[in-house]
Amino acid sequence: MNRLTATGSPADAIVERRLTAVAVIVVAVWMLLLTRLFYLQVVQGDVYRISAERNSVRTQRVDAPRGVITDRNGEVLVGSRPSFDVLVVPHETEDVPTTLSRIAGLTGRDLETVRTSYGDPRGRSRFQPQRVAHDLDRDALARVEGRLWALGGVLTQVTPVRGYRYGDSAAHLLGWLGEVGADQLARKEFQSYRRGDIIGVGGIEKLLDTDLRGRPGGRNLLVDAHGRELQLLSAVDPEPGRNVVLTIDHRLQEAAEAALSRDHKSGAVVALDPRTGEILALVSHPAFDPNEFAIGVDPERWRELTSDPFRPLMNRALQGQYPPGSTYKVVTAIGGLEEKLIGAHSEVTCGGWFRLGRRTYRCWRPGGHGVVDLHTAIVQSCDVFFYKLGVDLGVDRLAYYARELGLGARTGIDLSGEMSGLVPTKEWKEHRDGTPWVEGDTVSLSIGQGMNLWTPLQLATAYAAIVNGGIRYRPHVLKRIEEPDGRIVHGVDAEVLGELPFSPQTLAAVRSGLVGVVNEPHGTGSVMKNLPGGVLAGGKTGTAQVVALPQGARADLEDVEHQDRDHAWFVTFAPADEPRIVVSVLVEHGGHGGSAAAPIARDVVTRFLQDEMDLYAGNRP
Amino acid sequence: MPGIDRRLIQNFEWPIFVMGLAVALIGIVNLISASPERSAFLPDTAWRQLVWMGLGLALLLATLLLDYRTLERIAVPFYGGVILLLVAVLFIGRIVNGSQRWIDLGPMNLQPSELSKLALIILFARLLARRSATSPIGLLDLVFPAVLVAIPAALIVKQPDLGTALVLCVVSASFLAVTRVRIGSILLIVAGGVAAVTIAWLFFLHDYQKERVFTFMNPERDPLGAAYHAIQSQIAVGSGGLFGKGFLHGSQSQLDFLPEEQTDFVFSVLGEEWGFVGTATVLVLYLGILIRGLMIAHSSKDLFGAYLAVGIVSLFFWAGAINVGMVIGVLPVVGVPLPMLSYGGSALLTCMVALGLLMNVSMRRYIF
Repeated sequence: MNRLTATGSPADAIVERRLTAVAVIVVAVWMLLLTRLFYLQVVQGDVYRISAERNSVRTQRVDAPRGVITDRNGEVLVGSRPSFDVLVVPHETEDVPTTLSRIAGLTGRDLETVRTSYGDPRGRSRFQPQRVAHDLDRDALARVEGRLWALGGVLTQVTPVRGYRYGDSAAHLLGWLGEVGADQLARKEFQSYRRGDIIGVGGIEKLLDTDLRGRPGGRNLLVDAHGRELQLLSAVDPEPGRNVVLTIDHRLQEAAEAALSRDHKSGAVVALDPRTGEILALVSHPAFDPNEFAIGVDPERWRELTSDPFRPLMNRALQGQYPPGSTYKVVTAIGGLEEKLIGAHSEVTCGGWFRLGRRTYRCWRPGGHGVVDLHTAIVQSCDVFFYKLGVDLGVDRLAYYARELGLGARTGIDLSGEMSGLVPTKEWKEHRDGTPWVEGDTVSLSIGQGMNLWTPLQLATAYAAIVNGGIRYRPHVLKRIEEPDGRIVHGVDAEVLGELPFSPQTLAAVRSGLVGVVNEPHGTGSVMKNLPGGVLAGGKTGTAQVVALPQGARADLEDVEHQDRDHAWFVTFAPADEPRIVVSVLVEHGGHGGSAAAPIARDVVTRFLQDEMDLYAGNRP
Repeated sequence: MPGIDRRLIQNFEWPIFVMGLAVALIGIVNLISASPERSAFLPDTAWRQLVWMGLGLALLLATLLLDYRTLERIAVPFYGGVILLLVAVLFIGRIVNGSQRWIDLGPMNLQPSELSKLALIILFARLLARRSATSPIGLLDLVFPAVLVAIPAALIVKQPDLGTALVLCVVSASFLAVTRVRIGSILLIVAGGVAAVTIAWLFFLHDYQKERVFTFMNPERDPLGAAYHAIQSQIAVGSGGLFGKGFLHGSQSQLDFLPEEQTDFVFSVLGEEWGFVGTATVLVLYLGILIRGLMIAHSSKDLFGAYLAVGIVSLFFWAGAINVGMVIGVLPVVGVPLPMLSYGGSALLTCMVALGLLMNVSMRRYIF
């Protein structure tokens, strides 16, 4: 027998003694647990039985008011408005189907929708009120309130819902709300969210959700079997969300939206302050009304939005990528000057065509521009001048200058989903197509046709850097985040991304050309003349081919199907000497830049200057 | 080693086997009550648990064939393997409710933190059994074991699973109760524990875990959170009375007033539906297993077997006491499941293998 007790070593003896002590402790703890259970279940059993039968504690969650979003002048863009809801408590409702159909009758809602909102009661608390009708108008509310005495288990409730004050204005930028998804709940970064929580889905609502949402509170109520609240047991107040101030100027935003939607089906406008990178207006048309999402979007409406060929959910200002057309010519011009291939007064004769090998490339103006220097070539948008210069530079040097201007890469704006555009190189084309780059590609490229792709935002930031003296700022829409009491949590300052490595003379020459585009005879941007207060502007038109038409056969707009028409670009800055605003406009399939896009830019700049003057005169509303 | 020794059958450890099986079966029946779905005769969770139980039973009987002393040899590789799994789970683990605890094995999920309990018990039994028998244990002797606990505990806190890490620490510390340790050493260990808690608080704990501690100190703080769970749980248990409301008739559990009713608060479902008779029965069965386990430790033929039995008893003791204490409102809500009753395959499997090891030690006390 080699039993533990029989070995007789001191260690074993200790283990043996200790085991007895351990057994005593174990029994003692278990007696404690049993005593407590006896007390809970047998002595106090009746008390607890009553509180369980009286169906006890109902927990109500009190949502935190979501933060307000305002524009740079304190104009509220997104706030809250009251929604009147009807709720049903299953446990207190004798005949649920009848009750639901009576609610449908009183509210004028579709019975099927009411049933769907009620859902499947299995697997959820019978005491938890379930919302069956949302956002009633006052008449419907009055009808329900008047019948409440006859509807057991039905209650009405006022809840704040998100209100987008200006409907579809700045919809892409502001974003919208939805219920947090099951896939999100499974991820660690969403662990503070619970099922049924509301979360920002797009734009600022999504980006700053953690700031805007605040922290929910709750109330524990003692309720009787009829759902009457007997006593408030405990409550924690919700912490309201933080408020967000944007750099957007709502008046400018509306002016841009009105101008763009007047005559055109789709397009984008970006207005920014070239001295800071602050975005003043960011428009994508067509848009949608985020209010529709705030109360839960109707599936049919959602299908309609997602299958619309004009893609209203897409934010064209930063996600739409288009060939830049003649707005590209500044890249070719800067490259030519910096590489000293031309001087400010080097002249080229434009006879209306440019020959490379056996192919002929035409200038947009039949008959040509005659003898032109760089300035005139920009003013009149002469193609031949830039064909020649582009071929001399070559694709890879053009790509270098485009990249330095921030093209072909995300601008780093504080919104998600931005596209990077495209700046082609030899290597890129060989990699993509397997065919080598040919000089003919360079010819199209140097006037902005062909493979280049820019977003309207990139166009605005690139021109802002050219006209502000060569500083590239990160574009941003967030100005600051404030606590509900107004204390600033986070303020956004102008962030310099870099400086253009170009000589001041180069930038001055290009800028002078751009001012000429608006103000000189034969300039393509004359729409921008005669601004309020005699302010001079500069700018550049662009017309991006969507379908290559036979050379020289520039068809009249009416003859071309909408989707085959050229995209119209215009980019402008004002005042010419020390710009305070840069506006880029893209009209999809709008035709010619000078006639389709420039008038929109003019409206925006006019509104901007008018507001400035009103502000100085002190008669701003 | 003979395949099946006749003496093994003669000395079959019936008490542990019967009591363990009884608790496991009560657990399955109770899970039917705790499942939210009512459509099938056997809800999904109860059905899965039954499969795990069958698997556990097979494994339990299989371990009986093996001499437990073999475990002494595999203690180190087993521990190492579990650590690797714990590291792996942080990278490839499945996330449920914000915690990354499970490795996806197709139809089933493995929870390595459950295996780590067994690995540590075996490793410590080996360490203690090999020590020189007479010299008392000083503080320096405890540094190495402390590191052995700290590695898996830190990995588990990171998942995060505070409850399991806590059980791991107290079970390991319990080995001190059956060794010769100087009083000074114990004081220093307490100091070390305080330091460890501070470090965990500063670097490892998630906000919701800190919130739970605050809530226990001040239940008014969060009416929707842990305190609410504790109140609802007490109402459920208390309203069960002496005989309970009957199978599937508990209003608190059937009406979803109870949180985590399949895992951490499964005992309150039992209390509501079966009353004091039910809870006392389970607790007495538990106590039977604990006392019988200590008797097995006492009669073990070698120190390794004794320590192994002590470790297993300690595991059941702490998990049981913490869970029941939490359910009846005498301990904070820390999220420790109840052995054999809470839903969780890896946990049930670990428990049954642990019971198998107890039986193993018992049945080989006459064989040498």
